[in-house]
Amino acid sequence: MHPPGPAGAIEVPSLLASRAKINDKIENTLGCQYNERRDMKNILAIENVRKSFKVGFIPQKKEILKGISFSVAEGEIFGYLGPNGAGKTTTLKCVLGLIYPDSGRIELVGRPHLDPRAKEEVGFLPENPYFYDYLTASEFLDFYAQLFQLKKDVRQERITALLKLVGVDRAADLQLRKFSRGMLQRVGLAQALINEPSLILLDEPLGGLDPLGRKEIRDIIIRLKDEGKTVFLSSHILQDIEMICDRVAIIVGGRILNQGKLTDLISEKILFTEVTISGIDEKDLAAFGESLSVLSGRTLLKIFDEKKIQDVFDLARNRKGKIHSLIPRTQTLEDLFVDTVKPK
Amino acid sequence: MGLVLVLLAISFMGLKLKLDRIQRKKVPGSSIIYIPSGKYLKLATFGYSSLVADIIYIWAIQYYSDQTIPNKFDYFVHIFSIISELDPKYVDPYEVGALIAFYDAKDIALALKILDLGFAKNPSYWIFPLEAGHYAQLYKKDFALAKEYFKKAMDIPGAPAIAKRLYANASFRVNDVRTAWETWLEVYKTAPDEQIRKIASNHLYRVKAAVDITTLEYGVAKFREKYGRNPLDLSQLIRAKILPLIPKDFDGKDYLYDPKVGDIKTQVVPWKR
Amino acid sequence: MKIRVIALNTFKEAVRDRILYLLLFFAAAAIILSRILALLTVGDRTKIIKDVGLASISFFGALMAILIGTGLVYKEIEKRTIFTLISKPIHRYEFLLGKFFGLILTLFIMLACMSVIFLALVFFHTFKIEWALLAAIVFNFLELILITAVAIFFSSFSTPILSSLFSLGFYLIGHFSWSLETLIKKIRPGVARTLIQVLYTILPDLENFNIKTEVVHGLPLPASLFLYSTAYGLIYAAFILALAVFIFQRRDFI
Repeated sequence: MHPPGPAGAIEVPSLLASRAKINDKIENTLGCQYNERRDMKNILAIENVRKSFKVGFIPQKKEILKGISFSVAEGEIFGYLGPNGAGKTTTLKCVLGLIYPDSGRIELVGRPHLDPRAKEEVGFLPENPYFYDYLTASEFLDFYAQLFQLKKDVRQERITALLKLVGVDRAADLQLRKFSRGMLQRVGLAQALINEPSLILLDEPLGGLDPLGRKEIRDIIIRLKDEGKTVFLSSHILQDIEMICDRVAIIVGGRILNQGKLTDLISEKILFTEVTISGIDEKDLAAFGESLSVLSGRTLLKIFDEKKIQDVFDLARNRKGKIHSLIPRTQTLEDLFVDTVKPK
Repeated sequence: MGLVLVLLAISFMGLKLKLDRIQRKKVPGSSIIYIPSGKYLKLATFGYSSLVADIIYIWAIQYYSDQTIPNKFDYFVHIFSIISELDPKYVDPYEVGALIAFYDAKDIALALKILDLGFAKNPSYWIFPLEAGHYAQLYKKDFALAKEYFKKAMDIPGAPAIAKRLYANASFRVNDVRTAWETWLEVYKTAPDEQIRKIASNHLYRVKAAVDITTLEYGVAKFREKYGRNPLDLSQLIRAKILPLIPKDFDGKDYLYDPKVGDIKTQVVPWKR
Repeated sequence: MKIRVIALNTFKEAVRDRILYLLLFFAAAAIILSRILALLTVGDRTKIIKDVGLASISFFGALMAILIGTGLVYKEIEKRTIFTLISKPIHRYEFLLGKFFGLILTLFIMLACMSVIFLALVFFHTFKIEWALLAAIVFNFLELILITAVAIFFSSFSTPILSSLFSLGFYLIGHFSWSLETLIKKIRPGVARTLIQVLYTILPDLENFNIKTEVVHGLPLPASLFLYSTAYGLIYAAFILALAVFIFQRRDFI
């Protein structure tokens, strides 16, 4: 950030280079259309899926999924968001064949989703995973590997590699009952990758991990994308989604209210700028924007009009005030989310 | 805390000893008598009927060894028929039941009843009629009944040869000389060794002797009737046209006749031949 | 074969379950203590030992089948390990059958252990190895196969406590249904009688597998009994499992 200079207009740089600029850069380096995904294959396609359950002692029909449709293109990281109870986990269970939808179509890796062959290329990590606690980590991975009918040496190789990747290789021969929540999460991820799947479905994969753990998982997910795999993750930790996802869908009350590329959904328009100033009376600043707080002589000013920022800078210079920080705020995913979820 | 535990333990142990000494009126055989019949009990055993039979049998042994229980034989047949229903082929209860009935209750009819039950359920087990015959013969001195039992026993394939001999003997004892003679003859002819043959021939001797002596005594009595005195010797009976001939014993020897008393005896003791 | 993978895993799970060893201990204790019971009898002591031994193996075997079997599928659903499993390329029926065979394998081994202890004790008394007793145990195993199928069936949709009660009910009815035959003879021909006849053929007849008494008394058994009983047991078990697969296939795992 640029401190106020002695003379001349301050050029307010876009501190956060707009996403569009970064994208352009990547486009030029990769030489491909980053944003053009329309002609890529859909690895997961959900069409008008409905599901209701009978709940209660006197069974009453409760509709959980009210006709949802979306698709996940090959090679992208897809985020599935929604408040609790919106139907995220139900959607995933439909995809995996744990639940049978009342109507609609689901296509998985180009096959009808109930075909076991489709599952050959899929990996799944459930929310709050609970695994066979009487097995050791190696035995656990070996068990699933055998279900893919992998040969013994292949299994051995992959198990060692995966345990290392997720960071539990030192506990390879420890019974799962002795694992902490975070370790179970990691082993769960390893299990989801045992068959080198092309589509990985993760249900709240970052819950229960410390910040370092979250970063490690995020890095793994990005690496998977680099390897050409597709990752579908359902979560409500928006910061992480925002950081790694290419496209999102927001489900509320069993309906998809919003979906699309993150860059399309979140405008890069600067909503307002937060400026911290000292040395100038709060009253004098009122003309330029909303005063959010005053602390030890520093006023936090929320300025909506970009033009007024320049005015504030001039004022500070004239009155010998000091500008401590200048933070433009664009729309975040959280904003979008709250807007979408808020009842209209 | 430890002291509390010890005190509590001592008190309840002491109370238990006291409780044991308090006499409580026992209804004899109360646990078993209310079960209607073995058939229904079998339903409740769910496939473990032989085990339950074993347990009831063991219980019955303890129960009937207890001399303090009054009227314990009132339910004797009931209990043993339950065991029989649960495991009809279990031989010990019938045999031991009969023993208990005889030695404890001094009731031979009861013992025979139990053995009859065993035989009814197991028509191929010769042991039951054989034992029943023994009981009848030895303790009841009822040779007619014994004879029936021995016949049943000997007709079962696999029965020991002695059954036949006992049958023959019992027949003799009820004066069924014809059956006795025929049976002993069979035994004699089919004897597997010298010893059996000798026994058979001894018995045949005896049977013949019995028949002959009866005939001779009849002759003597007739003579006395006619002439008012005993004949001097047996040949007189022929001359007096009372008997066509004087039978000889099985070995071809003469019978001994004492004219003073008028009785006829064998020369030898049958089993000392 | 994927069923085999599940079966071996189930075997591992069952074999690490403490209940199994508790029951094995009690069975062994019962077999050995029969010796003391035998002392109280008058007459044939070996019969008591054989009866108690066979009854223990039968009873504890059934208990193992029910107690472990009713938890097998339920635990996977309750603990949601089934979610991960179904996400793999495996049919639901392969999962059920795998559970079934895993438990069968476990029971086989447990039964073998109990048999060894039992035959050893009998040998100790009669100084010969009575192989005929194994016939009774083999038949018992057939019964266990059927009970396991039933336990797995209930486990696929009901809680362990209810499943255990139902399985126990099946066991009791199975040892009861022979009495319907006597009932049929006593009723005049008519609707009631036909109804009971139908019931009699549908209800499981576990007494078909009960040759304990015959074996202990050394009675001969017709070869046709072996053949038909085995077929009956296996086909009935297959029926129960098919029913279980049918229900399990349609289920939503909420």
